Amino acid sequence: MSIDWITVAAQVVNFLVLVWLLKRFLYRPILDGIDARENQIAKRMSEAARVREAAEIAEAEYRAETERLKAARDVTLEQARAEAATERDVLMSETRARLKREQATREAERAQEARRYTNRLHQDGASALISLSRKALSDLSGETLEERIVARAVTRLADMTGDLKAAAGDSREAVVTTHEALADDLRRQIEAAVDDARPGTTVRYATDPGQSPGLSLRLGGAQLGWTVDSYIDGLQDILDDAARRKGHAHVA
Amino acid sequence: MEMTPDDTIVFVLAGFAINATILFTWIVMAILTIVSVLITRNLRPEVPPNRWRTTLEAIVLTIQGQIDEISARPDRRLLYFTGTLFLFIVTSNLLMIIPGWHSPTGSLSTTAALALAVLVAVPLFGISSRGIGGYLHSYLEPNVIMLPFNIISEFSRGISLAIRLYGNVMSGAVIGAILLGVAPFFFPVVMDLLGLLTGVIQAYIFAILATVYISSTTAPPDTQPESTTAKEQT
Repeated sequence: MSIDWITVAAQVVNFLVLVWLLKRFLYRPILDGIDARENQIAKRMSEAARVREAAEIAEAEYRAETERLKAARDVTLEQARAEAATERDVLMSETRARLKREQATREAERAQEARRYTNRLHQDGASALISLSRKALSDLSGETLEERIVARAVTRLADMTGDLKAAAGDSREAVVTTHEALADDLRRQIEAAVDDARPGTTVRYATDPGQSPGLSLRLGGAQLGWTVDSYIDGLQDILDDAARRKGHAHVA
Repeated sequence: MEMTPDDTIVFVLAGFAINATILFTWIVMAILTIVSVLITRNLRPEVPPNRWRTTLEAIVLTIQGQIDEISARPDRRLLYFTGTLFLFIVTSNLLMIIPGWHSPTGSLSTTAALALAVLVAVPLFGISSRGIGGYLHSYLEPNVIMLPFNIISEFSRGISLAIRLYGNVMSGAVIGAILLGVAPFFFPVVMDLLGLLTGVIQAYIFAILATVYISSTTAPPDTQPESTTAKEQT
């Protein structure tokens, strides 16, 4: 067992050279490679963390947006419900008002129709009554209804001379209105009667198709009439009474 | 029977006699360097590591891990030094499986050279870490009376390193040669297997002890590695 110091020196040199060689070709490339890979992994981890964070932020934004849309939808739905309720109330009130108006219109039309019917009935009744009266007078006494009306008016004028003068005032024209034009002899009878009641008074004749058969005389403030209206009204009362009795009978 | 490869002159180069120790050392150096170059030549981050590179990385990281466990101040220079010690010794010892191989670590000159390298490295690492004043002050600890004992301890470390490695490797080779003469068919194989195991263990012990010695000088005084005593007992 001996030590060769030249060999020792050579081995020291060899060892140092080997240290340099392994440092150059082994440790440094390996460690640098590991460091580079670790850096790359760290970079990827960092990138992954950043992407994850971005994804979490996006998720949070999406959730917030969803919540906001949900809340907006609820508000919109609630608003729509309120608007629908308001619209429904408005439509209902408008419909009620329209129905009320239509009901009033129908009531008015019905009342107007009733009035027209009553007027027509009144006219038809008057016409029938007058026709019957004319026929009865003609058959039984050979006179016309106008002759009898004028005769009655002349008689009544004689009886009412005082009242007529008081009511006539200063008027010197008497207006006689009839449904149809009077015959000349009847006109002369009227003129004579008026002149007797109030001398110097002229008579003017007028016709009114809307007036009931008969005669009306107006002198100043005096208004006299001999028409079949009262009789027609009496006829109307009779018919109404008959209708009521019929209605009661139906109810019974 | 030759007890050391120093006596075997292989050839003469420029007036220097190249013995088997130096030649086989060069072979080990060539093997380590060529393998390293071949494995690490295409080492780029985008290239996935293959099995050889992974193996080399595992070896380097294991050495680095051992150093990190021992040293309070892990340093890459320490990895270069003790890692090279380990790889050189373990490669030299493992190649004993090849017939005719003379392990350089079976030469007391080689182990003395490695111990001398450690002996020089210890103060160099200590001075670079703690400064020359801090390093020299460590010889006066715990008091000035201990100065000669610390110096003796420092040199005895190198001597023990050299003798331990040389004795183990040389004895394995000698015992193998003796058994080959006595029982040439069975015992030499067993002894070679045992020699491989011993070679790896000795490489590990040598590198660990070198790391412990260097770490003990680089660490601050209050953080001396606890494993120093245990490793030295090994």
